[in-house]
Amino acid sequence: MSHMEDSQNAAPGSVQANKLGGAKKSVEPAQNAAKRLQTELMQLMTSPAPGVSAFPSADGNLLSWRATIEGPADTPYSGLTFKLSFEFPSNYPYSPPTVLFRTPIYHPNVDFSGRICLDILKDKWTAAYNTQTVLLSLQSLLGEPNNTSPLNGEAAELWDKDPALFKTKVLARHKDIEDD
Amino acid sequence: MSAVVGPRWRRTHRRRVFQSVFQTDIDISQITSLQVTTANSSTGANQSFGGHTGSLFDDPLLSSKQQRRHTRHGRGHTLPPMGERPDVYHPTTTSSSRHSTPEQSLQMAAQPPLPSLPTTAANDQEAYDRAWHVVTAHIALPSSATADDSFGNLAAESQQGSRRLEPSSEFLDAFALVINASTLLPGVTQTRDIVAWHLRQVRSHFAQHVVPLLAGCVDDAVGGDDSSWQTGRRGNSYEKHMVTVMSSIRTLEAALRLYIYGLDELLSGFSRLSDGSPQAVKDAELLNTRFRRDIHALVSNSASEGLMRSVKAVLVCLAGTVLGIPSLREPSVGKAQTARPAPPGHDDLRVVAARERLLELVQQLHNVGLAGERFHVLFAEVMDAMMSEFVTGAYAGVWSVPDTRSFSAAMDTISGTTPLSASSPCIRSLNDWVENHFAQLSFQVLACISPDPHGALPVSLGDLKTFQSIALGRLAALRIDELFDIALAWPASRPALEDLRASVTTAARRRHLTDSFSRTLQRRLLHPGCSTLEILQTYISIIRTLHALDHSKVLLSHVEPSLQLYLCQREDAVRVVVSGLLASHEEVRNARKVKEAWRLQNEKARRDGEGDKLDSAQGDLNHSASRETGAVPPRITKLVELAMLLNDPSQTRHNTAALTADEDLDWNDMNWVPDPVDAGANYKRPRSEDVIGTLISALGSQDVFIKEFSAVVAERLLGEPASFDQELRVLELLKRRFGEAALQNCDVMIKDVQDSRRLDTAIWRARSTGQTRQVLSSEMLETIVTAKEEEGGDLEYHARILSRLFWPGLEREHFLLPQVIVEQQKLYEKGYEDLKSGRKLTWLNHLGQARVELELTDRTVTVDCTPVEATVIYAFQEDEGGAGPVRKTVEELYGELQMDDDLITAALRFWVSRGVLLQHRAVAGSQHQYYYTVAETAAAANSPSVPTNNPADGPVSAAGTEAGGEAALANINAGGSSGVGGGGASISAKERERREMYWRYIQGMLTNASPVMSLGQMAMMLKMSVADGFQWSNEELQEFLGEKVAADQMEVVGGKYKLKK
Repeated sequence: MSHMEDSQNAAPGSVQANKLGGAKKSVEPAQNAAKRLQTELMQLMTSPAPGVSAFPSADGNLLSWRATIEGPADTPYSGLTFKLSFEFPSNYPYSPPTVLFRTPIYHPNVDFSGRICLDILKDKWTAAYNTQTVLLSLQSLLGEPNNTSPLNGEAAELWDKDPALFKTKVLARHKDIEDD
Repeated sequence: MSAVVGPRWRRTHRRRVFQSVFQTDIDISQITSLQVTTANSSTGANQSFGGHTGSLFDDPLLSSKQQRRHTRHGRGHTLPPMGERPDVYHPTTTSSSRHSTPEQSLQMAAQPPLPSLPTTAANDQEAYDRAWHVVTAHIALPSSATADDSFGNLAAESQQGSRRLEPSSEFLDAFALVINASTLLPGVTQTRDIVAWHLRQVRSHFAQHVVPLLAGCVDDAVGGDDSSWQTGRRGNSYEKHMVTVMSSIRTLEAALRLYIYGLDELLSGFSRLSDGSPQAVKDAELLNTRFRRDIHALVSNSASEGLMRSVKAVLVCLAGTVLGIPSLREPSVGKAQTARPAPPGHDDLRVVAARERLLELVQQLHNVGLAGERFHVLFAEVMDAMMSEFVTGAYAGVWSVPDTRSFSAAMDTISGTTPLSASSPCIRSLNDWVENHFAQLSFQVLACISPDPHGALPVSLGDLKTFQSIALGRLAALRIDELFDIALAWPASRPALEDLRASVTTAARRRHLTDSFSRTLQRRLLHPGCSTLEILQTYISIIRTLHALDHSKVLLSHVEPSLQLYLCQREDAVRVVVSGLLASHEEVRNARKVKEAWRLQNEKARRDGEGDKLDSAQGDLNHSASRETGAVPPRITKLVELAMLLNDPSQTRHNTAALTADEDLDWNDMNWVPDPVDAGANYKRPRSEDVIGTLISALGSQDVFIKEFSAVVAERLLGEPASFDQELRVLELLKRRFGEAALQNCDVMIKDVQDSRRLDTAIWRARSTGQTRQVLSSEMLETIVTAKEEEGGDLEYHARILSRLFWPGLEREHFLLPQVIVEQQKLYEKGYEDLKSGRKLTWLNHLGQARVELELTDRTVTVDCTPVEATVIYAFQEDEGGAGPVRKTVEELYGELQMDDDLITAALRFWVSRGVLLQHRAVAGSQHQYYYTVAETAAAANSPSVPTNNPADGPVSAAGTEAGGEAALANINAGGSSGVGGGGASISAKERERREMYWRYIQGMLTNASPVMSLGQMAMMLKMSVADGFQWSNEELQEFLGEKVAADQMEVVGGKYKLKK
């Protein structure tokens, strides 16, 4: 389903644009977003889902989060940990967050700079989604890539044709990043 | 020497050259030699003229020519060859030609005059010289003097005036010659100004003799005493300084008499010569004035530092007495006189004496020339210091009239009607002091030293106003410094605010006030040593004080931010405010009584130790309070001020007014004034002081406040069964402020309690009479238990039915109640379900109260306690026919009651502290094993407890104590009248929940945000990210993290924390 051009994740300037948009508006939406994010965080903490976790980034900006996904068992990503970044727009949850893989990942729907093709992060986004659901969707995307509209064509091919090579490529690509 | 052109010109030219070279130290002897030299050198030139002899002295030109000729003829042959140095030829003049001193001139004068040759020019010159010597010898100053006695003698002699009345004819003749040399002695080529000579002689005499004497005066009297004067150990130094000043004055007076004597001689000579022509009199006067001026300049310029210091010391002392400022060095007259400055009465003899002494002294100083510019500066400095001292001394810490005596004097002041004086008693008395004492003294002193006694007044009415405004400024500065104390002492300090209001009129002063006050706040209030209660109490005082000072609240708004910021860090601030609002009448009354007692005690202490006041004002809040009373102030545990305010009808009216009509300007307000200049952009004029409103808004968001309020109200509703008037009133107030919706929870809570009371009676009635059925709308309910056993042995059991959704902090704590209670619960449940079908009760066993009656061997103990405690003690009840005393360990109780062991331990500790249970170290157990038995006898309970190795475990009674063998019957009663809220258990449950939650946050943070973080970073992140506010302080967090590190779940790397993998 992904077209690199109009994918919201594909536009590098989108984060900036969102921030600017937020700044122009009154403070109210950003505060609402912060409140909502606090609540989401509370939910994440009180009822954590296995294999995923998220937290605001260390720079103290509530609109910028870091998340961790553990590769699901029975997938080529099993035993690997992936770091992601979430940038929430100031009108969140009415616009989706910008999500990137910070850990290099070899996946049909993720390109080499970590951009993700996932419908709920784009046109299918609704305010009913939250960080946890996004993380769980991404976790399941690891096991069930959408090979009909890949960002990484090679990976999409190998997924079906040569799982062993796919796994090797996954392991070769994966590299634990040390946080700053 | 072949001069052909005007020899006279040449001669005068040469003379001018000489004069210009030697002017500074030229004197008679030198003039003599000079004359000779001049004559000598001009002889050659004169020869070419030749001619005239025997002319009369009528033509000046001719006479001068003749003079030249005479010179040539008369002395020509005796003259040395040209170029010969004159001092070789005239041995008598050699010694004096270079160094001219009065002594030498005297020696010269003592020499017999040269033979007179009246008919020649040379003789004229000689006659002039001789006359000069006579005159100078007559007025010459004494050659040497080592003490002022020598002046005294001479002065006495000169003062007799005999010689002045009848000056010797020799002197007069000589004087006439000297003055009128040009007419009487036409042959004289060189004349000198006798007055200038006198002045020079005076100068050198002064420098050589008087100055050393003056230095001697200063050294003798003060010596090494300077330091003691400066350190304030004044002792007798006033006398010493006075001696210095007086001996200096005497020395100078003597010297001046001497100098003036010479001048007078000269002047009398002048007047005799001129026969009293008006011009001459005028000239003489001019001469006199000029001479005196010169002498005064000389004196004042040569006055030493030491002398001026002494003058200052004497001035300080005398002026201090006159102005009513007691100096430290002056032992006050008896105990009755306080050390505070106060305007002295007009009939105070000491003051009158001091004033006379001072004026006399000033007059003397003026006479000897010490009252010059330096004295002016000195006097100004002293008066300046006096004003500061008076203001700080008289008004520091005194907020009403310092001294009523001065009021009578205040009536006849000129400035009595100036707007400056406003209505403040302090300002009135200060203005009075400035006018009647300060300005008066200034006037008198300045009039004494005024050079022109008939000129303008030294102190005008305008000056008086200036003085008063300066004094007001000082008072303002003082009050600004004291503002914190003023706020603390509110409302007794109200007059001080009047001072401030009258004086703080400019934006700059307002700015200074707020800045200074903020600084004081930081120093004295906003530090960990002050409890939140104290801070809030002070805050209330500040609100009221500053409101009284400035109704516009702008000052307050400038001071508030730091206070609010600090209060945000105090987590208990909201709770203190809420419980203060809810304080009962009883508490208010008690607090009032305590306060009153404290105030009286305070006042007594203040009366006793008046002098300490200034010092204690410097201390911080706690210090000053305890130092003043000499005792710790009574512990006030609630912010009852708020409750008082709440009950104060004027406040309520204000509040309603503020809330109803704050939209627009009141056009009928006749007291309207423009907004202050330093008001902010969004400034809105407040209506009243509105303490409660200000306080609530200072505590941050409405949500926080309402949440805390609900919690406190819930606790109180669960605890006190009395009426809820106070709660309702506060609720009403808050509703007006925050709106109905925000406080709906509290409404429901109150309604719940009221309803359950009704229900309770209904259920009991139904149980006794049969059943009544009522159907009400269904709601999820939870119930709180209260139980009570009736006399007949039946348990009395009451419940409160709470709407779960609306009550905050209803955590369930699981444990097994005693069977009797469970049965009661079932009965109650049934009764309830009969009344309200379709609804179910969920019991919250840990909330509520129980009244327990324990029948022990020798006594009966009745205790109000929590259900948890009641349950634990019930477990010690002996089975019917059981064997031996009951002994239980925590583990056993844990199994039996299924209760959290923390709660069990707490309950056991409670009972041990009540003397009902005894703690024993288990014989075979591990270190931390204890078992408990019932202390059946009071003796057993009171037996000395043995301190344990682990103090945290509390006292252990003597090992081996045999508890009585009888059965202990623990009856669990629950009474409505008990006052203890069952908060402990639920808080601990909440706390555990919280720890769990924070641990998850910390894990999430270290997993995602950053793998290693410092404590501060973590605290910051938690504050930001925890939705309902991070409740811990950094210390608590550190402790928590320490536990996690100890539990091997975290590790510390380079001072930062990370998760253990």
